[in-house]
Amino acid sequence: MTLERNILLAFLAGAALLPFAVSDQYILHLAIMALFYAVLASSLNLVVGYVGEFSLGHTAFLGTGAYTAALLSTQAGMPMWVTIPLAGLVSAVFGFAIGAITLRLQGPYFVIVTLSFAEVLRIVANNWIAVTNGPMGLAGVGQNLFGDVAVTDKAGFFLIVLGIAAVALYLSYRFVYSNAGRAAVAVRENRYVAQSIGVDPFGTAMQAFVLGAFLAGLAGGFYAHYISFVGPEVFRFAFMATMIIMVLLGGKGTLIGPLAGAVIVTVLEEYLREMQELRLTLFGLIVMAIVLFLPNGLMGFIAQRREQQAARPPLNAAKERTV
Amino acid sequence: MTATTDRQPLLRADDLTMTFGGITAVKDFSFHIEPGEIVGLIGPNGAGKTTCFNMLTGFYAPSNGRVRFKGQDITNRKPHAIARLGLVRSFQKTNVMKRLTVFENVLTGHYMASRQSLLATFFPGEAVRRAEREARESAAAIVETMGLAQRMNAPAHLLSCGELRLLEVAVALAAKPSLLMLDEPAAGLNSHEAGTFGAVLKTLVGRSIDALLIVEHNMDLVMSVSDRIVVLNFGRKLAEGRPAEILENRQVAEAYLGKAAA
Repeated sequence: MTLERNILLAFLAGAALLPFAVSDQYILHLAIMALFYAVLASSLNLVVGYVGEFSLGHTAFLGTGAYTAALLSTQAGMPMWVTIPLAGLVSAVFGFAIGAITLRLQGPYFVIVTLSFAEVLRIVANNWIAVTNGPMGLAGVGQNLFGDVAVTDKAGFFLIVLGIAAVALYLSYRFVYSNAGRAAVAVRENRYVAQSIGVDPFGTAMQAFVLGAFLAGLAGGFYAHYISFVGPEVFRFAFMATMIIMVLLGGKGTLIGPLAGAVIVTVLEEYLREMQELRLTLFGLIVMAIVLFLPNGLMGFIAQRREQQAARPPLNAAKERTV
Repeated sequence: MTATTDRQPLLRADDLTMTFGGITAVKDFSFHIEPGEIVGLIGPNGAGKTTCFNMLTGFYAPSNGRVRFKGQDITNRKPHAIARLGLVRSFQKTNVMKRLTVFENVLTGHYMASRQSLLATFFPGEAVRRAEREARESAAAIVETMGLAQRMNAPAHLLSCGELRLLEVAVALAAKPSLLMLDEPAAGLNSHEAGTFGAVLKTLVGRSIDALLIVEHNMDLVMSVSDRIVVLNFGRKLAEGRPAEILENRQVAEAYLGKAAA
């Protein structure tokens, strides 16, 4: 718990120094995308790791956030400090509505229904031309932070996404190590035990789900401003696949896992870019290898090693136990 | 609470009936538990004991009959709502959170005592930190009481069968129940372990819990622990009384051993 917190703090502090040490725009862009994905993966992790159900529709919240920020910016000219939090809140409302339906389902039913929600939103974005401009998308999303103060360089965007990542990690950390987070883990691990100690499985899952939606909405809002364009493809499965790989690789149900996964995958994706078409195939192979050999991801693997070493009782102590 | 509720039993079940399709698992079963009592619920396999547990704790909705707990009608309430009133159960098949450590399991059991608002979750104040500290201290104390101190930080899946049974009771105790219901808590324990376990159970009533309902096949344990025993057979109440009376009851002996033996 403290170890995890210290690693997260060290990571954020180290990252804050990056724009002062690096001026290469390409590397800064990679770092921005890594942090953007870190927020997304952390938010998906709240669903996969703490609700314990596999959502394939998390892009619904990313896209809702992105469209919210883009519309507020292009239609009302609002600056980022307003649009990004609002993007999170609108996504949270969507999360509540979608969760109210999907969280009554488990296993494959949950997977299919969440997927269909993301697909429905994509179709709406594609066809509701009056609002979303259809397949053309919303271009020219403003890049003002406060009033007329515009963010002009990558270093500025990096600090903004770092701020969002800090908020995401703080909220996740507080949730995971709270009584509510323990309740969520109890539901994930054993629904019957959870109920018999007074945990409402539906209400607890809803908290984690809405928090995940909120964070994904923040990430979406940031994305809209950074890319300056939002189209229906934010709802597409490609984002989902990337998020899943990050969470699985890093280790679901941990806080550092999705963060590490996001950084590794972003860098790896760039590195493998030279392979062109082979890239996706290689990714598929990597995912299969993870599922087969590291089912709990990198963090799960490390934690397991530590745990087993700590758990072995001294030999003579085992004999003294009476019951 | 008025004086009349004080005289009411802690738990009272009237005419509980459970049918699954055409099969009647429990039929018109009535019984009650007084504060301070340890009640044993016994019966041959398939007599309906676990079905009864599930009806009392909201995991099954009874086909007929009512359950009252502390004077409130709890029939058809959700399991977590019943648990919040102070009726906490364990399960026949060992049910703990296998990937968490012993301490984490018991700490999680303190859920009800540490519930807090959503705002307090994200911006915890002194009250939350104190509740958290108390929950941790209490969890450590319960682990000690159940004799699992040596295994405090071991993940539950590495525990032995006997230790798992103790952990299960520890998690239930962490929820600070008024009435604790244990479903075959001594299954898989050897006779020495069961004896120690029974001694622990006896110390709980009046100190940690108000009353205990125990389903158990280990007759030595049930007879030595219980104040009163209820016998179920084929879903109906066959007999009820003090352990000595039950041991001499011909019908009970027949139910367990068949007519010739009796």
